[in-house]
Amino acid sequence: MTPAAGTVFLVDDDPGVLKALTRLLRASGREVRAFASPEEFLSGHDPAIPGCLLFDVVMPGRDGLELHRELAASGIERAVVFISGQGDVPTSVRAMKAGAVDFLAKPFDDHELLSAVEIAIEKDELLRRIRAERTSIQNRLATLTLRERQVLEHVVSGQLNKHIAAELGTVEKTVKVHRGRIMRKMGAGSLVELVRLADLAGIRPPRVQPLVG
Amino acid sequence: MPQGTQSSPPSDFSKVRTTSPSGLTILRRVAGKPGSDGWRAALLVAVAYYLGAKVGFAFTFQPHPISTLWLPNSLLLAALVLTPTSSWLLLLAAALPAHLAAELQSGVPLTMVLGWFASNCTEALIGAACIRRFCAAPLRFDSFRHVGAFLVFGAFLGPLLSSFLDAALVTAVGWGQEAYWPLVRQRFLSNVLAALIVVPFVLTWAAGGVAAVRRASPQRAAEAVLLFSCLLAVGIAIFDRDRSILPALLYAPLPFLLWAAVRLGPRGSSSAVVTLVVLAIWGATHGEGPFSTSSVAENARSVQLFLIAVSVPVLLLAAALEERLKAREALQMSEQRFATAFRSSPDPMMIVRLSDGVILDANARWEAMFGYSLEEAVGRSTADLALYANQADHRTVFDRIGKYGGIRDFEVEMRDRDGSARQAVLAAETVEVGGIACFIGTLHDVTAQRRAEREAKEQSRQLTHLTRVALLGQLSGALAHELYQPLTAILSNAQAAQRFLASGRVDPAEFRDILADIVAEDKRAGEVIHRLRALFRQGETQFQPLDTNDLVRDTLDLAHGDLIARDIDVTTELPPGLPAVRADRIQIQQVLLNLFVNATEAMSQTAARERKLTIRTQALRDGGVAVSVADCGPGIPDTRESRLFEPFFTTKPQGLGLGLSISRAIVTAHGGRLWATNNSGLGATFHIELPQRVGASS
Repeated sequence: MTPAAGTVFLVDDDPGVLKALTRLLRASGREVRAFASPEEFLSGHDPAIPGCLLFDVVMPGRDGLELHRELAASGIERAVVFISGQGDVPTSVRAMKAGAVDFLAKPFDDHELLSAVEIAIEKDELLRRIRAERTSIQNRLATLTLRERQVLEHVVSGQLNKHIAAELGTVEKTVKVHRGRIMRKMGAGSLVELVRLADLAGIRPPRVQPLVG
Repeated sequence: MPQGTQSSPPSDFSKVRTTSPSGLTILRRVAGKPGSDGWRAALLVAVAYYLGAKVGFAFTFQPHPISTLWLPNSLLLAALVLTPTSSWLLLLAAALPAHLAAELQSGVPLTMVLGWFASNCTEALIGAACIRRFCAAPLRFDSFRHVGAFLVFGAFLGPLLSSFLDAALVTAVGWGQEAYWPLVRQRFLSNVLAALIVVPFVLTWAAGGVAAVRRASPQRAAEAVLLFSCLLAVGIAIFDRDRSILPALLYAPLPFLLWAAVRLGPRGSSSAVVTLVVLAIWGATHGEGPFSTSSVAENARSVQLFLIAVSVPVLLLAAALEERLKAREALQMSEQRFATAFRSSPDPMMIVRLSDGVILDANARWEAMFGYSLEEAVGRSTADLALYANQADHRTVFDRIGKYGGIRDFEVEMRDRDGSARQAVLAAETVEVGGIACFIGTLHDVTAQRRAEREAKEQSRQLTHLTRVALLGQLSGALAHELYQPLTAILSNAQAAQRFLASGRVDPAEFRDILADIVAEDKRAGEVIHRLRALFRQGETQFQPLDTNDLVRDTLDLAHGDLIARDIDVTTELPPGLPAVRADRIQIQQVLLNLFVNATEAMSQTAARERKLTIRTQALRDGGVAVSVADCGPGIPDTRESRLFEPFFTTKPQGLGLGLSISRAIVTAHGGRLWATNNSGLGATFHIELPQRVGASS
């Protein structure tokens, strides 16, 4: 399996460790951007480049967890792996709760590190794909007319055409025409796919009175 | 001196004798309080003077006008010798009415009477002043010096000088028909005799005479009664009966006088002399005995010279014997005291011959200390018994005693009979025992004390070590971090190299670099372990020259992980060129580490941005070095400042409360100080001062 392409953004205050990890990651074919401090990272980080974060936890000033929190707060979402020389349980729990892919206690084996990085990069890739798909769906949704949008909401909630027509004060035939247009505009081959796209785009069915019961 | 014609009976003589001692005891007490005692003494002197004059008149050869025994001057002399100079004037003034009363009855002109008073006073004053000058102690006739001073000044010089004055006055007034020089001679002899019998008698009895009689054993009292009975009998037989005795019989009383001198001391012999004198003069003045055969003047001179010749040697003999007796008693007392001190001393003592170290004597404590009985030890040398644990000490003891005559506070290890070590402090002094040079050694057994000291030191060392280990335990996470960093670097470098090899991309430059990094990181890890090992080790205190700045940096490295993990911003001010201090590196590092950890813990509630730890070093004027550790915590509450360095005082839930007390103990053992102050702004500062030179012990 060829590893997913992606840069590792490495931050560690210890120059020896920084150099060694950079070397190890490069030896395994990874692209690495190494930073000796959180500040250096913040000024040199490009969110557009695919890849993951590899943060040391114990650093003077901002520690790794804080740096990650700050990044998330500014809307940058990237998979992260933490490494620490003081691998205490509370810190690792906090790290995992913050959404870390892994928390590695120094010293760690290369396989551990590389597989964690691998997973993180894959996760980043996935996130990027999801983000890209969501963007494309949003773009397609934007081409729907208001009426088509209303019909879509009712369709994904699983209503029959005649119910939708009754609901919207129109006839079943017109609803059928709208559905056809919606399918085409959204590029959906089936109703199931349309529902998935709507779900990804965050469209929820409107609240309706249940017909039965 | 009277030239009275009256012959009043000497009925009051015995009264003088009995009242004098107790009365003169009062005279002695006059010192310091011339109140009622002073007046009583004055009255006593007046009465004695009057009665003395009466006795003087009684002992006058009829019809010769000169008294053979003129007592008032000597009584006055005795009174002055007994009393402090401040009351002399009072006593002389008291004697005047008595003098007038006695003399005016005999029809002597007033000018003559006053003149005599003047010469009588002069005699007493010369004698008393000179005696006082030469005998610091009260005159007691129990030493050659006392008797000599009395004989020269009181019995010779006083009468001689005043006799010149007296005779001159008599001649000037024109009283009587005697020429100047005969007058001088007559008065001189009369007063010498009076002084010889009155002053020793009065003074010896005044010095506790009555009490001594009461204390006397029945045997001694019987002896005294027998002696005086014999003396009286012999005296009466010779002096107061027939005038036709053999001249050699004059010496018959002498054995009794010698008896008194030998057996009864100065008091007894002076009393015997008085008895003899009274009997002799009584007989002579009443025309009885051997001194009534010639002319009146010749008789008087004969009896006086005889009595002077007898009494002076007796007084001297009594004094000499008394002196020897006292010296012997003192020696016996001192020997007894020494023997008691030696036997009952709470410390072991031994008497050792200096020439060969043979033990001559030892006390019970010595036996108990070394386990040898006296029989086993005496006659054997200290070397034979292997008393000294090492030869060098043995030699030193004998060398120093031989050289300086003694040894003080010499601590020496000794061995008892079982060969067990006994630590002792030896003091010794050379003495002669039966002409053999010895030393008396006193040993103070400090075995238990030294063991307790060693144990206390060992415990203190262990406690120091334990607190150090506890401190390192507290830092274990941070210390592991310091070790994990290089280990991580080494591992990753090595595995990177493996990957390069596996992939076939072998770049020699890259490999050189990797290996260089591995070496460097490995050394770094080694240093961390080395530092830790030193701190964990439980070693003896080692004072060595120490670079304080270096130690501060080293300790900061050790605490590095903890400081970072706690977000502490460290500032150091370590000026170069500090003098080296002599200190135990590990212990001072422990103190610093403890202060760093305390400071970081104190700042746990401080905002992250304000967590500053500032360490400063500074050269002190006296060559020492000061280190200060300042934090930005809440500071030390006033109520805790004084208790901060007490053992087991802690504000932390997990703290033992030993850190600061041990730290202070360490710094104090280095001859330095450790104290805390609150900062003017945020937090507290701990100060260490280490002197340049340190005592060798810890």
